[in-house]
Amino acid sequence: MGVSPQDCGPIHHPAPRALALPLLPAGEAMISLSVVVPVYNEEENVAPLVDAVGSALGDSYNWELLLVDDGSRDGTVARAHQCAQTDHRVRVIELARNYGQTQAMQAGFDEARGDVVVSMDGDLQNDPRDIPRLLAKLDEGYDLVAGYRLKRQDKFFTRKVPSWVANRLIRAITQVDIRDNGCSLKAYRRRTLDRMALYSDMHRFLPALAAATAGARITEIPVRHHARKHGVSKYGLSRILKILADLFTITLISWFRERPLMLFGFGAIGSLTMALVFAVGAVIGLSGVREDMADAYVLPAAALLWVVLAGYLLMVGLLAEVALRQAREADGELLPIGTERTL
Amino acid sequence: MSDASHDVSVLIPVVERPEPLAALYDEFSTPLHAAGFDCEFIFAVQPSYAGLIPPLKTLVSQGAPIRVIEFGHGVSETAMLKVAAANASGRLLVTLPAYRQVEAGAVPALVRQVEEGADLAVARRWPRRDSLINRLQSRALHIALGSLARGRLHDVACGVRAMRPKVLDETRVYGDFFRFLPLLAQREGFVVEEVASPVHPAAMRGRMYGAGTYLRRLLDVFGLTFLLRFTDKPLRFFGLIGSVLGIVGGLMLIAILLERQFANRGLANRPILLLGVLLVTLGIQAIALGLIGEMIVHLHASRRPLYRLRERRRRPRFEANDTVGAPPVVEPATSEAAVIERELDIATSRHRDAG
Repeated sequence: MGVSPQDCGPIHHPAPRALALPLLPAGEAMISLSVVVPVYNEEENVAPLVDAVGSALGDSYNWELLLVDDGSRDGTVARAHQCAQTDHRVRVIELARNYGQTQAMQAGFDEARGDVVVSMDGDLQNDPRDIPRLLAKLDEGYDLVAGYRLKRQDKFFTRKVPSWVANRLIRAITQVDIRDNGCSLKAYRRRTLDRMALYSDMHRFLPALAAATAGARITEIPVRHHARKHGVSKYGLSRILKILADLFTITLISWFRERPLMLFGFGAIGSLTMALVFAVGAVIGLSGVREDMADAYVLPAAALLWVVLAGYLLMVGLLAEVALRQAREADGELLPIGTERTL
Repeated sequence: MSDASHDVSVLIPVVERPEPLAALYDEFSTPLHAAGFDCEFIFAVQPSYAGLIPPLKTLVSQGAPIRVIEFGHGVSETAMLKVAAANASGRLLVTLPAYRQVEAGAVPALVRQVEEGADLAVARRWPRRDSLINRLQSRALHIALGSLARGRLHDVACGVRAMRPKVLDETRVYGDFFRFLPLLAQREGFVVEEVASPVHPAAMRGRMYGAGTYLRRLLDVFGLTFLLRFTDKPLRFFGLIGSVLGIVGGLMLIAILLERQFANRGLANRPILLLGVLLVTLGIQAIALGLIGEMIVHLHASRRPLYRLRERRRRPRFEANDTVGAPPVVEPATSEAAVIERELDIATSRHRDAG
């Protein structure tokens, strides 16, 4: 997944090429489009999914379909291999155990050979017929096109409401104008993916991460959404707390990944302000201006605690700068995408 | 390791309560040889036990395949084993503690398990006929490990293991965590199997350790739990601690502020104010640490292996028409299966090395 240093050298990249997807039957020729689908315990859905993708894309692109099995315990892998045997455009990637959707997606991205990569859910709720529209939008000069589900076919209280709240939060905080982060149907240019590394549960914040670390230009288009026919949803309400924690992380990372000392510096200033408030109280009390505060010994102690916190935060901020510098030295700097406009 | 001249390399770290090494060699090499495995023994020796080396000379002069690697002070058991593995010529590795833990006759079964497709086979001391004291200690360790091992592994700490060399190469294990290799390897996506092995008669007596040992184990388990659950997401751990502290402290402060406002009770001489402020600042510190962790994870995300692909390994199976009781076929390293496996290995490692 890494990018060799040559790749990330110049900031200026050529203007976005027209996708020029060759109208050739798939073969040994270059793959232009990779569709990545993580599947986990979806044995009922694999074959219909492959059919749907096949009929949606037909022979119009030189595409491949990557089924990434995330350690399924049912017949998903066997079904996937069956599909791959009858259709050589289908490839199966098996993870050694159940890692999670983020890791499965990253595995698919790493294996994808296409210049353009489309990610999609394995439960048939996304419609592959939307892929050509995503590609057309990408062609207008974007690095990432996200789909948003127009008429979402899910349960109201357990799925739609949390999702609405989360999306509002994500949008407000990360300032990436995407109204549906939970929709997996997205199209990416290779160079966007090359500049990103997913980890933890970051697939939910992919657009925000792409904006923060790759400098990707991002837009969205409406896509179809179907109710789940087979299998069960792998999400539950328990993810809300995790999402909140991740949201906090991604926010701070997108704001301060280049200047961590500033973040901790702000914290230190806030902390010193609190110290000042308590110090004023202490001075008033101990100078005897007000008799009821004559033995205000807790106030200077509390003020000192805030001073200690300020010093601590500054030191942690310096440590963060060291970590940043170390990582840059080890990795070489990964510069964001920049596109020269022809005027 | 490319010029495999042995089937199995037996690695023995001589780090705690060692028994005479020559006797160990005699006892454990016999069943392996009897099972048809050509094996070498490598002793990795700490300087404090260098006195145990000379008796091996007689065996070596008789042509026994024994090698000794000596280390300086302060080298961890894991590092010693890694060096020994790098010098091993065996196609598979077996690790044994330098004392008799399970019966020697059980070791070939472990090796066979690996030949049949497992990446790591670990002995489970079973049935446990040793002293209740030992059993309670094993039990306590597993209780401390909690859900990390539950239902899958029953004797994580048993030092008798057989594995493919790449398990040791590619599992991120260091320091004292070698003890928990099965858990870490499983986490890494390797196939780990347990093989019930009878307890060695010499290990039946109950054994207690110093208080320091138990304290170290406790810290190990604590560190391991954190590493397995939160390495990718430190902020979830520190954030939880930080927000609990911060919320408790904040509630205290709000309570006394309300009292000041409505019950006319001043803030100035209330020690609980100090406690509240202390908890809030402590909470912020915990979250700040979590952020540092999260930043390090984020910055290095592109270089860390995130997943492992499953390897399709052709398992030698004995079909119904095979001769009954045929000895297990030991495939030479150049067999088709081995070639496929190597290609898969290369593909997997290239995959991550690109980063």
